[in-house]
Amino acid sequence: MKPKMLNFQGYFPAKACGLLVLLLLPHLGSTIARADPVSELAAFSIFDKVDLAQLARSEVKTAHGPPMSNPRFLAVQSCYVTPGAPDRQVEALRRWDPTKHRELKLFLHSDLPSNPTAANFEKLRNAPDNGSVRSFVAATQKLSSDLQISRDEAKKFPGGGGGGAIPASVAAFWADVLAARTKSFVSGGMSGQPPYDHAGPSIRASDEVNGLLREQEKIRRQFSGLLGATGIGRGAGSLKPELYWELLDVDNQGVVTLGASYSRGGAGGAYQSADVLYYASGGYYVALTLYQMWPVTVEGKASTLVWRGDMISAASLGSLHGVERLGSESVMMKNISKAVTLFRRDTSGGR
Amino acid sequence: MKHLLCRSFVPVVCAGSLFLGATANVFGEESNSFFKSIFPLSGEYIAEETYVGDGDVRRGPHKGVRDFDENDSILQLVFTPRIKLGVLRLGAAWERFSFGFPDSAPLPDTLQSVNLVIGLDTQLSDSILIRVEAQPGVYNTGLDDLSDDFNLPFVIGGTYIYSPDLQIILGVGVDVERKYPVIPAAGIRWRMGRQWVLDAVLPTPRLEFEMNRDVTLYAGANVKQTNFRVDDHFGDAHGIPRLDHAILSYSEVRTGAGLDWKISPVITATGEVGYQPYRDFDFYRADIRYHHDGGAPYGMISLHGAF
Repeated sequence: MKPKMLNFQGYFPAKACGLLVLLLLPHLGSTIARADPVSELAAFSIFDKVDLAQLARSEVKTAHGPPMSNPRFLAVQSCYVTPGAPDRQVEALRRWDPTKHRELKLFLHSDLPSNPTAANFEKLRNAPDNGSVRSFVAATQKLSSDLQISRDEAKKFPGGGGGGAIPASVAAFWADVLAARTKSFVSGGMSGQPPYDHAGPSIRASDEVNGLLREQEKIRRQFSGLLGATGIGRGAGSLKPELYWELLDVDNQGVVTLGASYSRGGAGGAYQSADVLYYASGGYYVALTLYQMWPVTVEGKASTLVWRGDMISAASLGSLHGVERLGSESVMMKNISKAVTLFRRDTSGGR
Repeated sequence: MKHLLCRSFVPVVCAGSLFLGATANVFGEESNSFFKSIFPLSGEYIAEETYVGDGDVRRGPHKGVRDFDENDSILQLVFTPRIKLGVLRLGAAWERFSFGFPDSAPLPDTLQSVNLVIGLDTQLSDSILIRVEAQPGVYNTGLDDLSDDFNLPFVIGGTYIYSPDLQIILGVGVDVERKYPVIPAAGIRWRMGRQWVLDAVLPTPRLEFEMNRDVTLYAGANVKQTNFRVDDHFGDAHGIPRLDHAILSYSEVRTGAGLDWKISPVITATGEVGYQPYRDFDFYRADIRYHHDGGAPYGMISLHGAF
């Protein structure tokens, strides 16, 4: 992914910045750069009070997102400070290989060209032989109602078995589905994706992601410039996505998913990124992660203040109430903390 | 870019269920809009009836009550609105034990509780959930004399989310009318495989097998203990004056197997059969105790759910 530079709006008026520096000088040597991002962070996120110096010394800070009216939706926000400038963070995210951390239960990850063929999904044949993958194969072979595919896609399943963790007929079926959906995304964004209507009411991933953003107006506004140039929740955008596919575990079920990442820089070295999982064979309908990264100086070192918003739509969330939902949010926060901690450890030598 | 996605949406059992019989809805669909039109707030409900066949209790070598049956009826409605601090729990509950005692038996044939449910589930960290819940109400043998039958049992518990598949639960139940006012308890909820869940948490420890999205089979137990105050003349009427207005601790254990069938997103029907191996009526302050002497089979049906 090649981050594209563009003219971001200014982050904070200089006079106000100076006043804040006077107020904050006693706090451990942070410099002018800290006031702007902190105010901007407070303006659109759940984190209305952040002490950069303290955050730099601590682990990831996570919090529930705002309550949303659609029971399928869930959002978590996190923020942290990490060494190095934002462009370095974007590059590190791009290069990071989460598959080496077994606890993240990401079995396969592969980047995709903009015009993929079934051959780009050959790695499916090398999937590990475990319970999640076996469940995925079984669900495919009986065209389970849990599968999130369209009716037309379901008709193309040839049936049959074979050897290996994922039999040839199953791998070929998914390679075709994933290749076709990737092409459709490249040409028509999320709006061009076939619905999930194989065994139930029709669900469109673009409707889900738009619903998630509609219920978080401040975030939608903060990222409107970036999102408007992407294929997230709409037709193909002007920004070129970095495409990938994954085989992962969701609640002990193997799931193949398609993703697209966008990133671009703004004024003063800041960056915004958006990463959408616009297709999943099960487990969740759509997932979106947004990043806002600001350059800050903490204790004399160039660092990045990262805000991250994770939002997801999943059928299984719809049935959770009360403490179950609270618990699921906690699990999501815990997983995000774990993933970010591993990322920071791998890319910055740990904190 | 790597998404670092959250990959688990499993329900997490809460510590409060250690003592309060909270149920976990393990199914995955969206709430019914019809229900939402009636109850705009989220909540949970239960309507349950249990019949226990003829059993026996005994006091010392010569006194006993034999061949009596039991009906246990439960109604509960708790609203669970979301607030900034967590999830409020506000509602009401009613439970009534009816025993088929002979007229001469020195035990009350009805034990009843009518109480409010006032609690909060909150998050201490991304790994720890806390429940504080009180059940203030009237715990007695009927609604004819409510003068000072008020009690306020409560629980404080925590759930440690070790992983989406394993949670550890610790808590204490407090009831000043109980022989031992503070009782600690611990349990685990462990998803052992795709279809198997060990939910070893009081009062309803279970081993569950999820046959499919709508049907779960289980085997387990139900442990009950509640304290009731008998009426002002109960002792006089039974020739034991020290039992007037006495506290009776009633305990029972049921072991059995059952089936949860999710009829709709907000309605789950449960049927359960089994054997009641333990029962105890203890006027512990008056030092009069009728302990288990003969178990009995039981059957239970229930409608419950969350909306």
